Amino acid sequence: MHETIQAIILGLLTGGVYALMASGQTLIFGVLKVVNLAQGALVILAAYLSSSLFVSFGIDPFLTVPIVAPALFLLGAAVQWCLLRPLHRSDASQLSLLVTFAVALGIEGVLTLVYKSDYRTIQPSYANRSWTVAGYRIGEVRLAACLLSLAVLGALALLLGRTRFGRAVRATVQNPTAARLLGVEGDRVAALGYGLGAATAAAAGAVYGMVYSFNPNSHYDLISRLLSIVVLGGLGSLGGTVVAALAMGVVSALVGALISPVWSDFSFFVVLLAVLLVRPQGLFGARLRGAL
Amino acid sequence: MSNRSRGRDTGRGTGRGTAGGTARGAGRTRVRAAAAALAAAGLALAGCSSSAAKPSASSGARPALTIGISLSLTGDFSDSGKSAQRGYQLWASTVNAAGGVLGRKVVLDIVDDTSSPTQVVTNYQNLITKNHVDLVFGPFSSLLTVPASQVAKRYGYAFLEPAGGGPAVFSQHLHNLFFVQPAPVVQQGDVFADYILSLPASQRPTTAAYPALDDPFASPIAAEVRTRLQAAGIRTVYQQIYPAEATDLSSVVTAMAAKKPDLVVAGTQSADAYALVKAMVQLKWAPKLLYLSNGANDPLNFPGNVGAGNVNGIFSSGDWFPTATTSGNSAFVAAYTAAYGGAATSIDSTSAEAYSCGQLVQEVAAKTGKVDNATLISTLHSGSWPTLEGDLSWNSDGAANASYVLVQWIGGKLLPVFPADRAQSAPVLGKLPWSG
Repeated sequence: MHETIQAIILGLLTGGVYALMASGQTLIFGVLKVVNLAQGALVILAAYLSSSLFVSFGIDPFLTVPIVAPALFLLGAAVQWCLLRPLHRSDASQLSLLVTFAVALGIEGVLTLVYKSDYRTIQPSYANRSWTVAGYRIGEVRLAACLLSLAVLGALALLLGRTRFGRAVRATVQNPTAARLLGVEGDRVAALGYGLGAATAAAAGAVYGMVYSFNPNSHYDLISRLLSIVVLGGLGSLGGTVVAALAMGVVSALVGALISPVWSDFSFFVVLLAVLLVRPQGLFGARLRGAL
Repeated sequence: MSNRSRGRDTGRGTGRGTAGGTARGAGRTRVRAAAAALAAAGLALAGCSSSAAKPSASSGARPALTIGISLSLTGDFSDSGKSAQRGYQLWASTVNAAGGVLGRKVVLDIVDDTSSPTQVVTNYQNLITKNHVDLVFGPFSSLLTVPASQVAKRYGYAFLEPAGGGPAVFSQHLHNLFFVQPAPVVQQGDVFADYILSLPASQRPTTAAYPALDDPFASPIAAEVRTRLQAAGIRTVYQQIYPAEATDLSSVVTAMAAKKPDLVVAGTQSADAYALVKAMVQLKWAPKLLYLSNGANDPLNFPGNVGAGNVNGIFSSGDWFPTATTSGNSAFVAAYTAAYGGAATSIDSTSAEAYSCGQLVQEVAAKTGKVDNATLISTLHSGSWPTLEGDLSWNSDGAANASYVLVQWIGGKLLPVFPADRAQSAPVLGKLPWSG
């Protein structure tokens, strides 16, 4: 029983880390209807930048977030403006897959050139610390990631629900033509949306770098999980992302501890397929266009 | 061997992308600049290659000894390929400074195989039939060594290879092949089993767990140790193979901890070794003895990935270490750091393995007065040959008959501790740092 409860705790904490990483992915899909294959690479890029700031200047990884986030915002906005915006064709959503994959490969290539392919981990003094509560271990960084995840997702929800930018985003998502007629600059909203989604990778990268070892090609495993989470949660649904990430964490940890880690990822996909059979739009996805 | 090179040997975990991918959105100026840089790099490479391919023949001098090598200078194995290149080049410059091999200047003809098993075949074919090199040395990784060694066999060339230690290499039964490391990779953990079985019964663990990465260069190592320890009465309480994509091993450690093993023997590469230790530290659980086949044998990267305070007591094994007392090692380390900079701990073992190939050629030449392929093949199959890797001899399939070295983190340093003739410190049987 102890083993089971410990696995559930681990799963929830791991799910929190993934929710943080997937929030940008779901935001970008919500705003642009683009499945952003570069999100994993952006997380790894952020992990490297955070690592460099920590190693070179001694800046705490959590404090690197406000430094790295603006840089990733600009990068994301530039990707949208320079590479995705020109895709004004009926097959833009398919082509965007190729473009974002190319961006991911480009980021990976640059990281390999700059940092080589050795694994690294961000190791502040608290990286491996954990609290013991009633005999169960709770990793400090993972708990912080869960809280950070909630904070980021809450901020995004506020931004989209309570601000002029958020209204513009929602209007563009629901009816781009009508939004344009009402003076919403769709391209600008899209660039800001992509930039914002990329900026969330700053927080995700700092946390990922402390919890896991990473190298430039770590984004391949990462992106497959992030996509699974946003599909299960419902493409574009922030709340769904949290629930799906926690579900993935718990299912994988339980299966890994009680059955075999070989089946961890597969078991999550079984859950994913089962949900999609009943609800093709995912747990919290809307059937109508414009999940946000 | 360091985890870096072993990791590449499996073909896992390297950068597939190139910087060229970032140039797509750039303007013409940047494209021209990139093209110019590429052209310059190409010219530089061509310069290296042509100077190597056309040995200078000053009047009266003995002809150069040309050695053809295909290396992964780009692509998935490029980091390790470049490490091998440094080792080969260091040996060539060292031997040339001493007058060459039998008075013949050594010239390396190194070509890039882009980490491709197809290109490596073309390269060796060209090196032998067009460039007419005198000898060939091996590429990096078992993946490339297998097809490359077939080409060498076809033309009767000796194939001294530093980095192809997988079962596929030896199952070819090639008489011309010599793996220049102490033993096949799957035997890497045998030295730890030897050490455990050398302990008095009162100190021996009674139960053991065997988590291992699903990788041909990891799980067979743990399996081989398990077979030997089980036969000696050490009960297996947990064994588990985890997939390469399992980045978080907390659930494995949770399950393993519940079985309370005295000993954990983990068949690991690098990232999973780090993940195992981090999970143990976070869960505050430690066995009495911990052996990681790879990852922990990398003095440069292991402390940074698991925390320098968590390394002491952990065992690993490898083929070469900077402090080794093997033939010519101190001179090699000094020459390497002088030529390439950095600390001794930053030397990738692949460089030492490549350098050792050259040592063997020198020794055969010194013993026989000849340096041709038939002499190399027949001579190396008899006797024992001192190298940076230890004293090597080979079976008929090219697998070396020596043993890896057991190392342990002691006082923050990675020290050889077993067997006794290679040890620089006695093994320490104490609690792991995070066990409280």
